[in-house]
Amino acid sequence: MLLFLLISSFAYIAHAQNKRDALKKDTLNKFVARPLDDLLDTLSINYGLKIVFERDSLHRFDVVERFFNESLDNVLAKVCRQFTLNYWVDAAGTIYVLQNVDDMARLRQLAKTVKQPKRVSKIVAKADTSNEQDIEALYENRDKRTKAPLSVQSKDQRQLVASPPTEQPVQSPGPVPSVVQAAPRQEVHLSVTVNGKVTDQNSGLALPSATIHVRNTKLFVLASSDGNFTLFNVPSDTCTLEVSYSGYQQDNFRLSADLLKQPLALSLLPALTTLNEVSIIGQKSGVMNTDVKKVGVLQLSPANLDKLPSLGDKDVMRAFQLMPGVGATNESSSGAYVRGGTPDQNLVVFDGFTIYQVDHLYGFFSAFNSNAIKDIQLYKGGFSSQYGGRLSSVTEINGKDGNTKSTTYGVDLSLLSLNAFLETPINDKSSLLVSVRRSYQGPFYDKIFKQFNASTGGGFRGGGGPGGPGGFGEQTTPASHFYDANVRYTYHADQNNILTWSFYSGEDKTDNSRQLQLPSFIGGGSSPDITDYTKYGNLASSLKWFHQWNKTIHSNTYITYSSYFNDRVRSNSGTTTDSLGNAVNFNNGTIENNNLKDIGLKSDWVWELNNNLRFRYGGFGSFQHINYDYIQDDTTHLISQHNSALSGGGYFETEYEPINALHLQPGIRATYYGPTSGTYLEPRFSASYVVNDNYTLKFATGQFYQFINQVTRDDIADGNRNFWVLSNNSSVPIGRSRHLMGGVAYENDQFLIDVEGYYKWLNGLTQYTITQTGFGFAGGTPTITENFYSGQGRAKGIEVLVQKKLGQYTGWLSYTLADAENKFAVYGNNYYPADQDIRHEFKAINMYHDNRWNFSAVFIFSTGHPYTAPLSTYSITGADGNRVTYFNVSAKNAERLPEYHRLDLSATYDLLKISGDKIGSIGISLFNVYNHVNTWYREYYIRDNAAITTDVNYLGFTPNITLSLRWK
Amino acid sequence: MEIRRYFWGLCLPVLICAVWSGCKKDSTASASLPVVEAYLYAGHPIKVKLYQQKSLTDTAKYGAAITGQQLLISDGSQQIQLTESVKGTYIYTDSSFLVAGRTYTLKFNYQSRQVSAQTVMPFKPTNFATQRDSAYYAHTSTPSVQADTLNKFTWDNPDSLNHVLVFDNIDNSFFPVNGGFVRNGASNIFSINTERKPVYYVVNNSFPYYGHYQVVLLRVNQEYIDLMKSNALGSNSQNLLNIPTNVTNGLGIFTAMQSDTLKFYLYQ
Repeated sequence: MLLFLLISSFAYIAHAQNKRDALKKDTLNKFVARPLDDLLDTLSINYGLKIVFERDSLHRFDVVERFFNESLDNVLAKVCRQFTLNYWVDAAGTIYVLQNVDDMARLRQLAKTVKQPKRVSKIVAKADTSNEQDIEALYENRDKRTKAPLSVQSKDQRQLVASPPTEQPVQSPGPVPSVVQAAPRQEVHLSVTVNGKVTDQNSGLALPSATIHVRNTKLFVLASSDGNFTLFNVPSDTCTLEVSYSGYQQDNFRLSADLLKQPLALSLLPALTTLNEVSIIGQKSGVMNTDVKKVGVLQLSPANLDKLPSLGDKDVMRAFQLMPGVGATNESSSGAYVRGGTPDQNLVVFDGFTIYQVDHLYGFFSAFNSNAIKDIQLYKGGFSSQYGGRLSSVTEINGKDGNTKSTTYGVDLSLLSLNAFLETPINDKSSLLVSVRRSYQGPFYDKIFKQFNASTGGGFRGGGGPGGPGGFGEQTTPASHFYDANVRYTYHADQNNILTWSFYSGEDKTDNSRQLQLPSFIGGGSSPDITDYTKYGNLASSLKWFHQWNKTIHSNTYITYSSYFNDRVRSNSGTTTDSLGNAVNFNNGTIENNNLKDIGLKSDWVWELNNNLRFRYGGFGSFQHINYDYIQDDTTHLISQHNSALSGGGYFETEYEPINALHLQPGIRATYYGPTSGTYLEPRFSASYVVNDNYTLKFATGQFYQFINQVTRDDIADGNRNFWVLSNNSSVPIGRSRHLMGGVAYENDQFLIDVEGYYKWLNGLTQYTITQTGFGFAGGTPTITENFYSGQGRAKGIEVLVQKKLGQYTGWLSYTLADAENKFAVYGNNYYPADQDIRHEFKAINMYHDNRWNFSAVFIFSTGHPYTAPLSTYSITGADGNRVTYFNVSAKNAERLPEYHRLDLSATYDLLKISGDKIGSIGISLFNVYNHVNTWYREYYIRDNAAITTDVNYLGFTPNITLSLRWK
Repeated sequence: MEIRRYFWGLCLPVLICAVWSGCKKDSTASASLPVVEAYLYAGHPIKVKLYQQKSLTDTAKYGAAITGQQLLISDGSQQIQLTESVKGTYIYTDSSFLVAGRTYTLKFNYQSRQVSAQTVMPFKPTNFATQRDSAYYAHTSTPSVQADTLNKFTWDNPDSLNHVLVFDNIDNSFFPVNGGFVRNGASNIFSINTERKPVYYVVNNSFPYYGHYQVVLLRVNQEYIDLMKSNALGSNSQNLLNIPTNVTNGLGIFTAMQSDTLKFYLYQ
């Protein structure tokens, strides 16, 4: 009896992983003429399958079919298709056949209570009722009695069990001897080191941050972004690993001495989309997660993003804005305003290279295609010494490897853009991912374009915008679009070496070039051609080499290149006839180019000594070159900057846990910056203390330097221009910030409450203005004066997150109380509210899941942004007799715009394949449902000696439809 | 146990709240400050204009005159009082009071606040010269081609002092250089900041109009340059900035300057 139970349990675990593979490999070769339930019973018995179905509803279907060596997978698909049924295989190997996938939850309940067909009932009963403790007890007994090996989890062994081409019921001893014989007797090793990789069983893609837990211990580890993990001091090589990951079915893997001879390859099956039964230790299943063990860390996997309202495509950067500490009310910037910082203080790293242009379409959409992204981490401050070069925060984006098992492709269609991707294995060792996204100029695009283009402030004025560049006397609708493309090629040279090439290109272009029709009274020469375009974007690439030196040391080495460009050309050219009758070519206008090139080399190493001690260290070097030219009439350089910087350095960090509850992470980073010939030290420290099962305390501090700044050139006529400048320690100082952050997290099975506070000191901030000199307007070349202002800042805040993690209703409430202030001498000697200062920000994210439906409601409220208001006007006549009217303005940012608030709603319906796999979704999003007028900023003009105030507003009510489809 | 749990949950926010300190700023800008406009020329009488500021919707060219004030100007050794000639305009007719090299301080009380401003009379510019008295420029029918130097004005400036060139078209009627088009805002009088140089090159597109120009070289103080440079390109709530002033408890300018004058003719 004991042997029987042992074998049954054995079979159960063995089945757990490769049932789908078995379904593909096992074949049926016979004529079938019987009711469907009867056929399923036969399959169940003959192939050792546990099949759950409602007999009454399936009995009425008669199968009359000749199967010629059809795989079981195909047999099931064929009959299900014939009778409009679905089937689904879970991680435990149980096959569910049902009429409606929405009935899955009911069927799973049924599986526990309804009596199974007689011939498989014993198996089912044992497997079904065998709770884990029983199985463990069995194994323990067996251990004690026989010292027999416990593992049957190696792939070969599993196949032996899973593919018994026998007509005998499963409970027959058929496969069992094979299993037992396959594992020779050997010693149980104690305190072993286990390393491996967690992947998706269908696609072979790594599952970053998957949780690997050693059963019956407190030992667990999160997989790295490559899916790799190392566990030290695992009690024995016979332990069971419980592996879980959001959106996947939890699975168990039993270790064996044989298995541990090489890195483990643990793969999980996706969870059925209609279920809400995810229960994961140490890992949330939400759209976004916070790391309760670290201060200020947010994690996001794009897979679940379609559950949130989206305007256009799924947007990873916008999603982060729904979490505490990340400003959500800057519709004109997808850049992250993190804890009182500005977007240029946020380092955005994609596969190792830095992205300098992080958004499209005047900031409304982020420049990152979610189909090309595996996962993203946002470090809100106090970050590891592995990262540097920015004052505020780090966004680390990891590109997605291509599917290593089969070719998949898909499209996402919205009113804004078309997004297509292809993932395919190239050969056994390599895979490729290509994704391309391009906007099309439909009404939806035009609405946003006009919204952000009609103003003179934040965006780049496209050539033909209202009130645009005067003088041409003719306005046309400009052609405008954005696109981005990702290519990622991964080559697994062997188990210890992986090469990855990643390429990114993104561009926004607005073109209003045309031919000017001269009035008839102007003779001589042809009509001039007007070149009028604005384009900006980023092109970048990296080559990454992952190498596992041994079980405890691995490294990632990158060669990176990133090129940012921001060009605007307004010129007219043609041929004219001079006074002597000769044809003369002319070309004049303004050309403004800002481009940045960044070439880098870096190597990051991790050395894991044991579960309690880990070293991270590495080195980096980069060369940056920036050009900024503002040229008028081909000859006059109004602005001309050409700067280069060579920098390099290294870092060392220790992760140490003197006791299990306490995690200490001291580190130091040193950077040599060429232009100042200085070395800048950045000590960092973070710690966490697990008070008990529910409470964790965390803390972080550190010093951070920034050597490059993005500044804005105000241009009332043609729209503001953003450009990058390098620090030089004279007009543009090196920025420095110090962070002090702490928090406490409370977490139970259902809820997470996370409270964090921070204080930041900032020095060496840079602002830039240009002014035009003179009272009377000469009509010729203006004299432009560049001014760089240096100042300091401070920011503080408290963030509260209350998250409901599980159930049909999930979501979170976020509240931030914050204060960000700057002090620039040009505005006086006092601190004033920084432009990005928001006192209160409240966000409520509500998601409701009902079978195939997902509903979400996002409400955002914040106090208004600060602004400077004119109090009165006055006029002065200059010494040359020209009168100028000026504003007498309030103290800098002394006023507040009205409160910002809006409600977004969305509904998504999952499209499922006959096998229950998700193949897409269709959704509708409603942005700013109650059409609240949110003010972006105010403009002031002098007309007839009086001041005219105009509100420039953000987007009103805007609906959008999205369709996602996937093929395999 | 429960108390301890709550303690942990509450202590950190409370601690952070404790160190939270507000820093309220007082808005010093006020719509009631007087506007001063005064340009002092050595060897000339003094004229100071006082205005009120205007409300944002006021369409009047200037604010209402401030009358009945007692304006005092001191040169360090002597203090004189100005008299109100017309409403809001205060004068002192003795042209010998303003002398190069001296520091002049204006003071008066307005709405129980003392308004003051200070400036230094610069020395007269020397050796102001033009390379040519006139220049020919034929405009083509399309927008201008390569910039072409038409003339050169020079003066002594070994100390890199601030100079402004004022071009004043003194003709009765104006003929636009740009083929009949007048660029928006082009004026027949305009100023050029010479950026502390001893020379200024006139190019073809420096002028909006053909005709006879009176070219005035002004040696000015920094406060005047600051005012000139503040011809801000933008004016919205994201970049609005107060104009620099050298008047304490007031707005506007109180500055001294000296000048020299030449003539120049641009024809076609």
